[in-house]
Amino acid sequence: MKAEKDQKSENKIKKAAFGNALAKGDIWVKLSTVIMGAGYFARKQFVNGILMTAVQIGFILLVVLFGVPSLSKFDTLGDVQMEQTFDPLTLQSTMNDYDNSFMILLTSVITLFFIFVFILIWIWNIKLVYQLQLKKERGEHINTFREDMRALVNDRFHITLLALPTVGVVLMNIIPILVLIAVAFTNYDQKHMPPSSLFTWVGFDNFKNLFTNSITISFGYAFRKILGWTLLWAVLATVTTFIGGILLAKLINNATTKWPAFWRTLFVIAIAVPQFVTLLLVRNFFANAGIVNTICSNIGVTGFLQNIGLVNPRLTYIPFLTDPNWAKAMIILINIWVGVPYQMLIATGVLMNIPTDQIESARLDGANKFQIFCKITMPYVLFIQGPALITDFVKNINNFNVIYLLTQDVFITSDQLLANSNAKEVDLLVTWLFRLTNEYYNYKMASVIGIIVFIICAVFTLLSFSRMIAGGREEEYR
Amino acid sequence: MKVKKTISMIGTHLLLTILAVIWLVPILWLVVTAFSAHPGINTWRFFPESYSLNNFYRVLFKPDSVLQYMAWFKNTLIIAIFTCIVSTIFVVMVSYAMSCMRFNGRKGLMSFSLILNMFPGPLLMVAVYFVMKMIGLTNSHVGMIIVYSAGSGLGFLIVKGFMDTIPTSLREAAKIEGASEAAIFTKVVIPLCKPIIVYQIISSFLIPWGDFVLAKLMLNSGISSDFTVAIGLYNMLDKGLIDKNFSAFCAGGLLVSVPIAILFVIMQKCYVAGVTSGAVKG
Repeated sequence: MKAEKDQKSENKIKKAAFGNALAKGDIWVKLSTVIMGAGYFARKQFVNGILMTAVQIGFILLVVLFGVPSLSKFDTLGDVQMEQTFDPLTLQSTMNDYDNSFMILLTSVITLFFIFVFILIWIWNIKLVYQLQLKKERGEHINTFREDMRALVNDRFHITLLALPTVGVVLMNIIPILVLIAVAFTNYDQKHMPPSSLFTWVGFDNFKNLFTNSITISFGYAFRKILGWTLLWAVLATVTTFIGGILLAKLINNATTKWPAFWRTLFVIAIAVPQFVTLLLVRNFFANAGIVNTICSNIGVTGFLQNIGLVNPRLTYIPFLTDPNWAKAMIILINIWVGVPYQMLIATGVLMNIPTDQIESARLDGANKFQIFCKITMPYVLFIQGPALITDFVKNINNFNVIYLLTQDVFITSDQLLANSNAKEVDLLVTWLFRLTNEYYNYKMASVIGIIVFIICAVFTLLSFSRMIAGGREEEYR
Repeated sequence: MKVKKTISMIGTHLLLTILAVIWLVPILWLVVTAFSAHPGINTWRFFPESYSLNNFYRVLFKPDSVLQYMAWFKNTLIIAIFTCIVSTIFVVMVSYAMSCMRFNGRKGLMSFSLILNMFPGPLLMVAVYFVMKMIGLTNSHVGMIIVYSAGSGLGFLIVKGFMDTIPTSLREAAKIEGASEAAIFTKVVIPLCKPIIVYQIISSFLIPWGDFVLAKLMLNSGISSDFTVAIGLYNMLDKGLIDKNFSAFCAGGLLVSVPIAILFVIMQKCYVAGVTSGAVKG
């Protein structure tokens, strides 16, 4: 009964529009726009009033002490260059009070985010205070502080549960995303590295550069090439491992196959070893002077490949990971090695739940195995696995480990245009971005690429998840 | 007919054997190289000429400026334990709120976090690095733990999916008996979620062991004893060092793989058990 009542009053809070609250609120509600706790004091909710006012004071202090010094320079991102002056009398050099553009940017973004959150709290607070006024006028019960606290483990338990995880997400995801977006509009790169030099806003220049081809800038060329390979890779990697996984699962769970658990374990062993170990190992396995090349040249494979034109006759080895085309093929093959056991495990689970009556009736109607697989098994698996397939596709767009661990330090590009923009043929957008930041400190272009990748990923993610959430499937099993 | 069946059976097993060999050759190479007496890469034959335990001895007991295996292992273990505690708690809390409670804006929050979770980690790491640098937590265990676990609340999908299968009637019964929402969470729902919580614990424990990108960016002091296993082992294969360290790398890789492989297999079992037992209850 009580819960129902709370539910009702909560609905009313929602209904009480902000403008309405301001217009119809009494003097205490209006005072709450300046001193956030005022409305609570008037309704004898002293602890709430003190807490709200404390939040407000804390926020103002934060903005004044921490935010304002940065925000005041936010338009230029600082203009005092770092300078060192050597004092011949004391034999000490002193630093001037210089601006650090990045710190200005970072603290400004954080402050702006806090201001945004505070405005939301402020609006919500006024609505709440107006609600209290209405309750008082109607003579309804007004919660004591103790009752409010108790609600935090009952009807409002979700607030208790979500508070800390939300703080974590803000720190690790939201603020970094905002900073990333801001950096894309600056000239933050190796020539403009704080603290020794400043950087500033450049508008959409970086985005223009990404689509430009000129003598000095080859980003347009590199971007087109790498985007093409990224998408090709994502499609091929997703499709090959998916189909491979289903075929392997069918093979293992076949009625005629003995000891399916044993076979499954064999394949699981291969993926249970951490990826960085296996991939680094495989990279040396296929090195130019590596063991596979030794074996291939001993049994004449190298010579054969040279004869049919797949390997340059001037080479004495097969350039598994050093020639662009070979490397791309190898990466996809090695990814099949890495990915198929995972997909096999998932496919096993899906295949177990397949409705057998359909298969049975199809068999009675005279369908052969291949027809059953194409007409019944595959559509069913695709129906179940559809969203997961899109998720895999997005994950493959960002599959950093496979590409980086296999090609970093090994693959050297001979394409001068790509090298100019620090890219390689085998790079995905993410590995390119990582190299731009980690080795060349080209943060501005990395941020632009980051935003583009996000847009690509977001489109695919929305495609897959709109179905999952909108479909209302979550209560299916209850 | 019987002959045909036998042929298809032999064919299946032959194919499986060939595939298994392909999948296990690199693993086998890892194992035999770890026992090799030759320190560098074995480029002319698959099996080493002579075997010794020297690599393991070196990895475990003889740290040098490059090889600090025990320190790496300790670092990674500490980071993994705390990451696993924090992120499991976060994920279970978020899952309960999303699955069992009904509040305004729940669906919006869910869609928002799913999209946020899809924002590729490697893209954010640069900004994450600067945020951590501002707080002064690069090159520290606390920093790594925060990096791995703070955003973990977004990965609630699997645990929430499991909680969705717990019948509402159980929670309603507890509520009628006068249990608070918090009591239902700790005393009713969590015990029912054991398999999926074990899955969550193991999968978050494994993150620091397998992560390469964030660790490489965050632990940039260049001091070997600060590294995690992944970064340390990667650095052993630097061009100048590979000839002295390759078989020690294999030994180290093998040592870290064994516990991880065991946990991985347990995790898979829990995942399957969790998902199927959940469905049966409905």
